[in-house]
Amino acid sequence: MMERVTYLYPEIALFITTCIVMIVGLSRELKHRKLCAPISGLGLLAAGVLATGLVPGFHVATGAEVDPTAGQILLPNLVPYAKVLVAGVGILLLLLQAGTVDRVEEARIASGRAAFNPLRSNRAEYYAFFLFSLTGLMLCASADDLIWLFLALELTSLPTYIMVTMSTSRHSSQEAGVKYFFLGALGAAVFLYGFTLLYGATGSTNLNQIHHAIAAGGLSGLSLAGMLLALLGVCFKIAAVPMHFYTADVYQGAASSVSAFLAFVPKTAGFIAILLLASCAGWTHGAGDSLPDALRTVLWVIAALTMTVGNVLAIWQNSVKRILAYSSIAHSGYMLVGVVAGPGGGTFATSGIAAVLFYLLCYGVMNIGTFGVLACLEGRAGADGEPAEIESLDDLRGLCQRHPVLGWTMVICTLSLLGLPPLLGFFGKVPLFTSAISAGEIPLVVVLGLNSAIAAFYYLRIVGSCLLEKPETTTGIVRVTPFGSRPAGALASAAGVIVLAIFGNGFMAASEKAAAYDGGHVEKKEPRAAGVPETAPQALGPAKAEGH
Amino acid sequence: MNELYLFLLMVIPLAAAGVVALGPAGREKSVSMAAMLLCGVITLLLLLAFDWTRAATMQFEASVAWLPRLGLSLSVGVDSVALLLIALTALLGPICVACSYTAITERVRTYYAWLLVLQSAMFGVFAARDLVLFYIAFEFTLVPMYVLIALYGSTNRKKAATKFFLYTFTGSMIALAGLVYVAWHAAEMRKGWSFDIATLELAARTLPASAQGWVLAALLAGFAVKVPLFPLHTWLPLAHTEAPTAGSVILAGVLLKLGTYGIYRFAIPFAPAAFAEYAPAISAVCIVGILYGGLICWVQTDVKKLVAYSSVAHLGFCILGMAALNTAGLSGSIMYMINHGLSTGALFLLIGMIYERYHTRNMKELGGLAAKMPVWATFMVFFAMASVGLPGLNGFVSEFLCLIGAFQADGRWGAGSMGSGLWGSGGAAVPGATWGSLGPWYAGVAGVGMIVAAMYLLYMVGRVVFGPLVEPAGHGHEAHGSESHAAPGHGSESHAAPGHGSESRATTGHGSESRATTERVHGVLPADLNLREILTLAPLAVLCLGLGVYPTPVLEAINGPVQKTAYMVEDAVKPRLAGERAPAGVRPVFDLGGHEATNPDGTKPKEGEVIGQ
Amino acid sequence: MAGLVEMVSVCFGGVALAQTGYPAEMHRLTLDHYMVVSAVMFAIGLIGFLTRRNLIIMFLCTELMFQASGIALVALGRYHLDFTGQTFVIFVLTVAAAEAAMALALVVLLFRRRESLDAEEWSELNG
Repeated sequence: MMERVTYLYPEIALFITTCIVMIVGLSRELKHRKLCAPISGLGLLAAGVLATGLVPGFHVATGAEVDPTAGQILLPNLVPYAKVLVAGVGILLLLLQAGTVDRVEEARIASGRAAFNPLRSNRAEYYAFFLFSLTGLMLCASADDLIWLFLALELTSLPTYIMVTMSTSRHSSQEAGVKYFFLGALGAAVFLYGFTLLYGATGSTNLNQIHHAIAAGGLSGLSLAGMLLALLGVCFKIAAVPMHFYTADVYQGAASSVSAFLAFVPKTAGFIAILLLASCAGWTHGAGDSLPDALRTVLWVIAALTMTVGNVLAIWQNSVKRILAYSSIAHSGYMLVGVVAGPGGGTFATSGIAAVLFYLLCYGVMNIGTFGVLACLEGRAGADGEPAEIESLDDLRGLCQRHPVLGWTMVICTLSLLGLPPLLGFFGKVPLFTSAISAGEIPLVVVLGLNSAIAAFYYLRIVGSCLLEKPETTTGIVRVTPFGSRPAGALASAAGVIVLAIFGNGFMAASEKAAAYDGGHVEKKEPRAAGVPETAPQALGPAKAEGH
Repeated sequence: MNELYLFLLMVIPLAAAGVVALGPAGREKSVSMAAMLLCGVITLLLLLAFDWTRAATMQFEASVAWLPRLGLSLSVGVDSVALLLIALTALLGPICVACSYTAITERVRTYYAWLLVLQSAMFGVFAARDLVLFYIAFEFTLVPMYVLIALYGSTNRKKAATKFFLYTFTGSMIALAGLVYVAWHAAEMRKGWSFDIATLELAARTLPASAQGWVLAALLAGFAVKVPLFPLHTWLPLAHTEAPTAGSVILAGVLLKLGTYGIYRFAIPFAPAAFAEYAPAISAVCIVGILYGGLICWVQTDVKKLVAYSSVAHLGFCILGMAALNTAGLSGSIMYMINHGLSTGALFLLIGMIYERYHTRNMKELGGLAAKMPVWATFMVFFAMASVGLPGLNGFVSEFLCLIGAFQADGRWGAGSMGSGLWGSGGAAVPGATWGSLGPWYAGVAGVGMIVAAMYLLYMVGRVVFGPLVEPAGHGHEAHGSESHAAPGHGSESHAAPGHGSESRATTGHGSESRATTERVHGVLPADLNLREILTLAPLAVLCLGLGVYPTPVLEAINGPVQKTAYMVEDAVKPRLAGERAPAGVRPVFDLGGHEATNPDGTKPKEGEVIGQ
Repeated sequence: MAGLVEMVSVCFGGVALAQTGYPAEMHRLTLDHYMVVSAVMFAIGLIGFLTRRNLIIMFLCTELMFQASGIALVALGRYHLDFTGQTFVIFVLTVAAAEAAMALALVVLLFRRRESLDAEEWSELNG
């Protein structure tokens, strides 16, 4: 029993932090209230450090170490990687959250026009929700049971609905919040029904036992229906077709800092859930090692549609946030390619799971840069004193000349999203290419390549606006945000985009380790070597010697 | 030390770009010129240190581990072909800086910084011995070029830049799929991922035929756009016309060579049998491109566009030679890369000089400039001759070799098939015939293209250089730039003054006030070329003449790698033929057997010598 | 109607889960009946969600879908003779309650602004 708790040290750390933040945020003293963000940061840091399992006395058990009937043993090493990733990106996200809520209220208190009223203050709740959501995300990674997974997914999502709603005082935020909530509830109901059917078909909610049951008896009609419904419901979290409709509206309606949060946290939760579910079905079917045919086909189609729909719709947008929202859809499609590819040979270059896990890191970092820049720019203040968000592409004109640091951050992160070498996005995409080709999914790779090219249309528009246009006085940008941590967050992610491209090997190794898939209950086949003549390796030996 | 040179070539321009972008204002020209010259010096050292007796072997090889999980390393190394192209790049670098001295007056620092980044990326392409490093450098040329066109081009610059970016990016994403496929195939055989080009070349020999076809298709999708081959060329004229002079020079001089180099370095070795099989189709496309480019030139009034279309035609020759897959054709093709870089680069320089003075490139508004600008006119005639392939100048050598290559590559004749009616009954009717699937027909039709090319360029030269003097209306004297002809690139200065930001204000050396700038520029430029301009053109002219009169050193230098490639293809094709020949009535695509029977010692010399190196 | 029930039950694996040795007192009401009821509830909820535009109704539809899972879970728990299903239901009910609280809060917030519960009227976001 005790090792099940050691499994959860990071979550426990985060939860304690959440409780502290909730209380501190209600203090009458401004200087105490201001501690919310630093405390959250410390909590995330502590969770991240604990998750590495390197702290003496706080050894965090991995799935492999807990007893084989429990624990997450299909992807036994996923937990540390996922939690460190969540904590790291969470800190970057936290930097952007400064001043998202309570800004007008705090200004009124500071000017003496109002007294502090705990009922009107949102700061405590906001940071608490922020941490709750990340706790849920970490719990997702530790899930070994459908009930756990369901609760973790809900814990990830429920706070985000409120965060969207309270992020600005604009109507659009509230509309976005309601829209997000209702579609989120629909998604939850769908994957819950899927989980129910999975339970019905296999007689267990334990992922490992479900895997056993499916490995023994194959996917029955009921378990297939359950799996499909579960995947469909989780598609909502990752904003994949056909559950992508909310994305653009919600990202546009929410404050940029929250949009950055939405683009990473629910997406990561969704992908972890998809990986766990798919690992229940196992990538050991068919000619190569792949998912059961029906599942593979469905994921294949969803992947292809998601990237195409995301990229094509993004072209027609004029709002930067909507463009980024559609690009977020497209990136989900790219990552689904890795899911279809599966664990392959288990090395970084051949494992689609490793590719997905690494891409989540890349996407988190580069996406925070773009949304972070938007969060740094403020338009004219509205009637209630809250500055308008920067939205239109025109507003970004000449950003590189007006605010070189922000402008270049935007350019670098956008080019990285495009996948232009030698930036991080390219190194995220290469393993998707290699793993999918190793798995024989060549048509899907071509779709991926073409989509990357389509994406150039709209990413270039952003780059062009920032870099090439002359700054105009008519743009909506009035000033750079007074909250210094936002530019710091954006800048840090731009630096990450470059630094991780150079020194990313450690992260690649970590994701390779995390992707180790233990589907060993079924006999593994030799990796497919289509059409390679038997004599090939021998032929290579002497020829190689001669070449040099 | 020698190993470091290639890295230095990539690092120095990058570092200089950093200095230019962030360092003190007003020094950008000297810093970038110094960096470019330093690269030139390093290239000279490389040329001296290179062991020309082993030209086919990779030299100065060095490798630094980088992202080993993905199988990547920073590996560099050059054979003579790559080294010559590096030399071409290094030569054009300072020239591009020099030709921008007066042409670029706005956002100067950005301009030189991107120019330097571009230079670094181009060195990277030619020096890379790791596939992903190559790809990174190949792709990374897009951004600087995009910015150079979109910021410093003329009217339609944004559209042109976007089109350029999208075309090439789309192609190269598909090429990436092909390259990764080859890497996967190698990984399957070697049980480990590596993107080392030499390893992949060897592994690719065992690719099954159908897979080779797909690999070739994917790679051509990437590289043919860059070359550009006929149906994919539409971005080129637009990009050329809109780009600033230095951009055009680099585009024509080096960037297009990335495509041809990619085909030579990857498409042929990774899919040799498929390349040989589809060589007739590729050549046919080339020939259509040659004729199409030539004919389109007839209706051009924009001088720059004319030269751009002539590039389409010229690079058609280049790929035609490559598709011949024999020593002559491949040598010609590689010579063509260098020569085209020299002569077309120079033509763009000359057009840029005219444009700086008259703000027009319209042939109808220009004429008889020989009277006013004798030096310019001399250079113009000289480079136009070099470009059309006047014997004695460089263009002739390469064009002729490409045609010879195509002419000789008619191994099919042995089977008594196509072409025999023209040249008598089968057999060794063509002297020195090699195996291959082209033949006199291809060479003949392409030769017509050669004549067309000569006609349109000469027509242009005749019109602009000779005849009665015509200058743009309102251009009484070159010191008073006519407003009506002011290029939007310059015109935009007039309303942009308030929002200029720190950068252009920092470069007050050339003034942020538009009109003053324009007049000053015109004040600086004399009617004819000044010394700086002559010095930019002179080295190109010397090389054009030198390579035309005495091309032997270069041909000898590239002979080794070229033979290696030719034999490699032949080796790849032969076993397949042996298997294919069995069923009677099926005409083999390459009848090596028949050819060997008629010409036993023609094509098979010293195989062990080259391969064994 | 019986034909429809049979069809649906076949769809949901009634054949695969044919209950042999089922407790006697349930011989009239088999697992299939529960599964069909739950499937129908789920379908009604889904269709209602997609066709109705009143926020309260839409919310009730999602609740219907949640409870459809609840019914199925209880029945399946009984079928598999373990308590996991029923445990799951308790969690589902808790989450559903949390969602209900949140939904009503959001709806009230919007109602104060707009005096309407029609989803169509909120078109500030063009989507």
